[in-house]
Amino acid sequence: MRAGCIALAFALLASALGALPARAADATLLQGALPHGGTYFLQRDPEVAGAAVELWFRAPSDGYDGATPGIAQLAAVSVAAVPLAAGRSLIDFLHSVGGRFFVAVYPDMVSVSAMVPASAARRTIATMTAAYFAPTVNQNALTIAQRDEALLAIERKYSSELALHDVAFQQLFSSGPAHRSPLADSTAPAAAPSLDAIGAFARRAFRGSNALLSVAGNVDVAAFDAVTDGDGPNAIDPPYDSPVDPTPQDLSQTGSVDGIGLAWSGPPISDEKAATALDFVNDYLFDDGTGTLQRDAASSSTQLTGQFVTLHEPGVMIVTISGPNADAARLRVLAAIAALGQPLDSATFAAAQRAFVYHTLSKSQPLEAAADNVGWYAAQDDAAYAPGNPDGTYLRDARSLDPAYVARIVRTFLKTPIVVRLATAANGSPS
Amino acid sequence: MIAHAVLAALVVAQVVPPPAVSTVSGATVVRQRDAASPLAGVELFVRAGLDRQTLSQNGLAALTAESILQTPVTAAPGDAPRPLQDAVAAMGGSISFGVSPSDVHFYIEGLAEDQDALVGLLSQALAAPALDGATIASARTVLDANIANDDRLPFQVGMDMLDRQFFGNANQGLPQYGTATALAQFVAADVRGFYTRYYRRDGAVISAVGPPTAFASSAIERLAGTLGPGRSTAVAAKVAALQGTSRELIARRDIGAPWMLAQFSAPAVGSKDFAAMLVLAALVDRGLQETAQVPTAVSRGIADGVVGTIYNYDQKPASLVIYVDGGLGDASTTFSNTLAFVKVINTVKLSGSFDEFKALARGNYIAGSDRIADRAWLAGVFAGNGASPNYLNQTLAEIAAVTPADVARVARKYLGKPAIALVVPRASATQ
Repeated sequence: MRAGCIALAFALLASALGALPARAADATLLQGALPHGGTYFLQRDPEVAGAAVELWFRAPSDGYDGATPGIAQLAAVSVAAVPLAAGRSLIDFLHSVGGRFFVAVYPDMVSVSAMVPASAARRTIATMTAAYFAPTVNQNALTIAQRDEALLAIERKYSSELALHDVAFQQLFSSGPAHRSPLADSTAPAAAPSLDAIGAFARRAFRGSNALLSVAGNVDVAAFDAVTDGDGPNAIDPPYDSPVDPTPQDLSQTGSVDGIGLAWSGPPISDEKAATALDFVNDYLFDDGTGTLQRDAASSSTQLTGQFVTLHEPGVMIVTISGPNADAARLRVLAAIAALGQPLDSATFAAAQRAFVYHTLSKSQPLEAAADNVGWYAAQDDAAYAPGNPDGTYLRDARSLDPAYVARIVRTFLKTPIVVRLATAANGSPS
Repeated sequence: MIAHAVLAALVVAQVVPPPAVSTVSGATVVRQRDAASPLAGVELFVRAGLDRQTLSQNGLAALTAESILQTPVTAAPGDAPRPLQDAVAAMGGSISFGVSPSDVHFYIEGLAEDQDALVGLLSQALAAPALDGATIASARTVLDANIANDDRLPFQVGMDMLDRQFFGNANQGLPQYGTATALAQFVAADVRGFYTRYYRRDGAVISAVGPPTAFASSAIERLAGTLGPGRSTAVAAKVAALQGTSRELIARRDIGAPWMLAQFSAPAVGSKDFAAMLVLAALVDRGLQETAQVPTAVSRGIADGVVGTIYNYDQKPASLVIYVDGGLGDASTTFSNTLAFVKVINTVKLSGSFDEFKALARGNYIAGSDRIADRAWLAGVFAGNGASPNYLNQTLAEIAAVTPADVARVARKYLGKPAIALVVPRASATQ
C-alpha cells in the first residue's frame, strides 16, 4: 500500500511514460502524454463537485549531491510561493478559487497537490504546471518555505510514528535518500542551501518531462490542453534508489519521543501479489477500526501503527508502538505475525479478505487519496496497480489471495525484524 | 413569493445531478447517484436523539443505538448469529452511529454489490433489536470507552462544556454518549421503552449514495418499514435565551498544551442566512490563520488542526465554534489575538471584494462533500431540516449570490456573544 511517509521510486526506463498516447487503461483510469512533456493520469467522476490535481516528480529529497537534506521541500514550497506572470503565486491563485494546497516530500519523490472546485480544475492545471515546469524562486518565497520546513521538522521529530519511521529506515538502508529523513533537522546546525542551489534543484527536478500529473474528480480530459509549459518529450528521471544494508542492526537511542519500531524488508513492487499479501496482513492486524491487534492496543492505551510501504526494491513492513505498554505490545505483535505464518481458517480469511477489499476502496474514496494513489504508484511505473482503482491489478490481486499464500509470504518476509527504540531523557536510556 | 421560489429553483446551476426524493411509509428517502463509485452508503436518521432524553436519561439514546449495533443478526439462513457490527464487517463493510441534538443516525457502507445485503442486516437488527441485559451491558462497555476517549480530547471536552451552556442546560446539550454514571443506571426496560417510543418512521430520513445498481432492490423501503408507525415528539425542555456578553468555562485535563474554543449562535440549514454564514466562516477561518501566523503553504493541513472554525449547521439552534490549539507557538498571544479578532469581526465595516471568501466557502463546502458518507449525511441533514436535499447545487448558488452587506448583517446578528471554553493542563503549566 502507498505509504504516507517514505518511499523509493523504482527503476524504470522513463521513455515508456512520456510517449504514451491517450488511452483508456481501464474504465476509470485514463493515461496520456502532456502537450509539452510529462504524463497525465485521470480518474474521472462527473458526479462530484471537486477535483484533486497533483504533480509528482522523481527527485532525491537531499539533493542531487546527496548532501543537502531538506532541499526538495524548500524548493517545492518556494516555487509555489513565487509570483507568476499574472502577478500572483500558485498559492494565491489557489486561495482565490477556494482551493487547498499541500506539499509532501518523500526520500525519492516530491508531490504537490491542490484540492479545488471542479470548475477551477482546468485553471489549476494550467497554473500549477506553469509554476513548476518553469520554476523560479526568490528570497521572500524561501522565507515562507523555511518557516514551513521548520514547523514540519519539529512535528516529525515529536511524532512517535514519524520519528520511529525515520530511524527504522536509517537502519534498513545503508545510504541514499531513504537513509535519512526527507526533512532537514531544524535543530541541527546544518548550513541552509542557497537560493541559487534551490533554484537549480527546482529547474532539474520539476521539469515537465519529469512530471506525473495525477487528477481525480469532475474533470474532462480536454483540461490537459491547458498546459503551456514543458521541456518537450524528454525522459523522466530514473528512480532514486537507496541501497539496502545487508546486515541491518537494531538501534536504541535517546530521542524526543518514546517508542519501539519494528521493520522488515518486504517484496518489491514488481511482485504485486506478494506486496498485496503484506497489505492484507497489515489490514488484518493493524486497521484502525477492525485490526485484531488494534483492539488490544486500544484497551491498553498503546498507540500502534502498521504499514506496508510499497517500494521498488525492497518494500518495507513497519510497525510503530508507543505508550505505557509498548514492550508488551511488541511481544503481541511478534506473536500475531508468527501465528500468521500458518494459514487462517477459511471463514476467518474470507471475512478478512472482504474487509481488506472494502478498506482499500474506502480509504481511496477522497479525491485527494485517489490522486495520491495513482501519483505514488505511477512514480513507480505501476499506475495500474494503484489501490482503489476498481479495474486495476491491485483489487484483482487482493481477491486472488488465499490463506496458504498469505502464510507463505509471512514466513518468507516477516522473520526477524530490526528493532529500533527511542526513549526520551526523562524516561532514561532506551533498553 | 411562489413565483420567486420557482425562479430561484430554475437558476440553480446543477453542478452535480440533484438527488431524487421520495416518501416511503412516512419516511423521506433521498437517493444520490454516483455511477463511478465502487462503494455505496446509506444513512438512516431517526428522531431519537438527545432531545428525546430527559435530563436524567443522559446517554440513553446512545445506549439504545449501540445496543442495536450489538444485536445478533444472520447474513444467511443457517448462519450463526453475530452482532450487527461484526456481521457488517465480515461482509466487508462498516457501520457506525452518532447522536445529535434531534436525531440518532446510523451509517452503513460497503461494496456497491453488497449494499442491499448490508442494509438488510441493519433492517434485521432494527426490526428485532436485542435489548436484553447482556447486550446492553456489552453496549455500555463500548460507550464507557468512548466517553473515556472523548475525555482525553481537549476539543471534545471544550465542546461538551459549551454545548451544555449553549442549549441552556437542556437535554439537547448533553454529551452524545452520556456519562458513565448515568449509563450505569439504565436497565433493559429503559432501553426498550426508549426504542419503542422514539424509533418511528415519520420524520425519519434515509439518505443513500452510490451507483444505481446498489439500490435496485427494495432494501431501502424495507428498512423504512422496520420503524414503528407515527411520529414521536421531543421531551419538553426550556432552552434559556443567550444572555450576557461573554461566558468562560474552564476544564483541566492531562494534556500538553491549552486549548481555547469560542462559540457563537449561527443560522441552521434552511435559514436565509446560511450561505452568508458559510462565507463569514470562511472569512473568520482565513483571518484566524493569519492572526495565528500559521504557515501559509505546505502546512495548511497542520494549520487546520491548530486553529479554525466548525460550523454546526445541522443543529437547531446552530452554532459556529472557533478553536485554537495553544500547542503551537505562544499560546497566550495566539489566544489574545484570536479573541481580539473575534471582537472586531462583527463591528468593523466589511467592504471590498468578497470573492476570495466566497470562493473559499465554496471550496470548503465542496471539500466537505468528498466522501459518499459526507454526501449521505449532508442530504439527510438538509432533508431532515426541511430544506431541499439538493444541498450542493442549491448552496453553491446561494453562496454565489452572497453580498458583502449580507455578510456584514450576519456578522452583526450572530457574532456578538461568544461563550469561551478553556481546556488547560492540570499542572497549571499554561504557557
